[in-house]
Amino acid sequence: MKRALFWIGLLALLVLVLFPIYWVVATSLKTVKDAFAQPPVFLFEPTFANYAKVLQNSVFLRGFFNSLLVSITASVIAVAVGALAAYGLVQQNAGKRRAHEKFILGLRIAPALIFVVPTYYLAVRVGMLNSHALLIAVYAFVNIPFAISMMITFFEDIPHELRDAARVDGAKEFRIFWSVILPLARGGLVATLILCVLFTWNEFFIALVLSGRDTQTLPVTITSFLTFQGIEWGPLTAAATLIMLPMVVLGLLVQGNVVRGMTLGSVKG
Amino acid sequence: MNQDATRYFYQPVLIFLGAVSLVLTAYVTWLTLNDLSLMKPQAQKFVGLDNYWRLLTDARGLGALWRTALFTIAVTTIEILLGLAIVLYLDREFKGRRLVRALLLVPIIMTPVVVGLTWRFMFDPSTGMVNYVLSLLGQDRPMDWLGNPAIALFAVMIADIWQWTPFVALLTLAALEALPTDPLDAARVDGAKEWQVTFYVLLPMLKRALLIVALIRAIDSVKAFDLFYIMTRGGPALSTETLNLYGYIAAFTNFDVSYAMTIALVLTVVTNIALLAVYGVMFPARNEARA
Repeated sequence: MKRALFWIGLLALLVLVLFPIYWVVATSLKTVKDAFAQPPVFLFEPTFANYAKVLQNSVFLRGFFNSLLVSITASVIAVAVGALAAYGLVQQNAGKRRAHEKFILGLRIAPALIFVVPTYYLAVRVGMLNSHALLIAVYAFVNIPFAISMMITFFEDIPHELRDAARVDGAKEFRIFWSVILPLARGGLVATLILCVLFTWNEFFIALVLSGRDTQTLPVTITSFLTFQGIEWGPLTAAATLIMLPMVVLGLLVQGNVVRGMTLGSVKG
Repeated sequence: MNQDATRYFYQPVLIFLGAVSLVLTAYVTWLTLNDLSLMKPQAQKFVGLDNYWRLLTDARGLGALWRTALFTIAVTTIEILLGLAIVLYLDREFKGRRLVRALLLVPIIMTPVVVGLTWRFMFDPSTGMVNYVLSLLGQDRPMDWLGNPAIALFAVMIADIWQWTPFVALLTLAALEALPTDPLDAARVDGAKEWQVTFYVLLPMLKRALLIVALIRAIDSVKAFDLFYIMTRGGPALSTETLNLYGYIAAFTNFDVSYAMTIALVLTVVTNIALLAVYGVMFPARNEARA
């Protein structure tokens, strides 16, 4: 009896969490008639018409390409720089390290508005508002503190003796980093990279302000489909599914690290 | 000697980050002391504290500040309580535990803009599922969730709570699993009832983890933007306009640069003070316990 109650409660929880997502995905697979039937239909013949429509939309495809380019490039830069800095920091004594780590964490409290506005006017002045380079640079910049914090936790797990041994053998510091430590932290590097991609792909505020017509990333693209006079929910839910699906897959790949990563600081506006 | 080489791995990066923050802060502060608006023909001019004074007497700005505080306190509290309830509920052995955890992760990693769209869809007054479910429960008059100034803010809160309660739950669950079980067992041996163990032993041990989650959630809710932008854009009748959103509108709709930066700076400072105060109250005089 108690057991049964537990499962009922658990089921209720999962329905609350998952139903809205299910409903969006289901709507994307419905015809217009099914989507707005009252009462709602739960059994229907799926159609891919909405997806076909979205995938033929050049603005959406452009957004997909921009999102891919910007989030991967910015993340690779952030992780490369972050790994170097984190390695350096891990070797310092505790006091020095704590002060630095606190500074890095403190960077996340300011709202994005405070640096996005000056960046915007600077970009307008030098005519960079419509370039991928601007977005990549800004996203790399906001991802670096996160990448440092995250990589520190992975480097800490690597025993100090390895570095000491390599030094006794006469290896230079960068060589130790590159050939001894980095290969051991490969899992951490991949997890950090994936999280950076995830945050950047999902980020909206910076993209809204700093992207131009040709550099719009997906979250901005999808809002341009959103007008206050009547929304085409069919294609919109299909687009929404296509935007979130890759991130859900990536997120589940690095499951154990997502929550830890988000406590260390994300890029969210 | 060689020890020092590791300095060059991080110093350039930290110096760069520090320099950029310093220059930005100085520049933003300077902007707030001036009147720079792209809508006015005259050049930038020094006005001292006028912008701050303006914010202090701006009913729209104060309303936005109040809503930001209300939103932050409400969602943080509810998310912590619900998240904790879920953790206590799930804290047992059952089949599919790993699967449940993976499923709880999905709202967290979903694109926030898509979360906003999802809930706008759910809250649609004529075809939305929320009204449909309510009608099944006997509520016949459909509610205009996002169009009614009295309830729109609560509708956005629901979306935020839906997305972030799982985060609180998963983080707390991880903290719970890292705790030693001896104190719990000892209390049980001493004859404590299960609820007493939970309230007097388990919860005090979780306090630190919960505070950290609460701080993270509070910082993020103060800055919440995506859900508001997608679901209501501050409307109807400014009833969901938060300070961050107002700052955005000041900067990019009114092109009132100085005023927008004043809002952003005040937001940052107020957040910092509030967080430090909360931290000080919750952890009196215990200096720098390790995270």
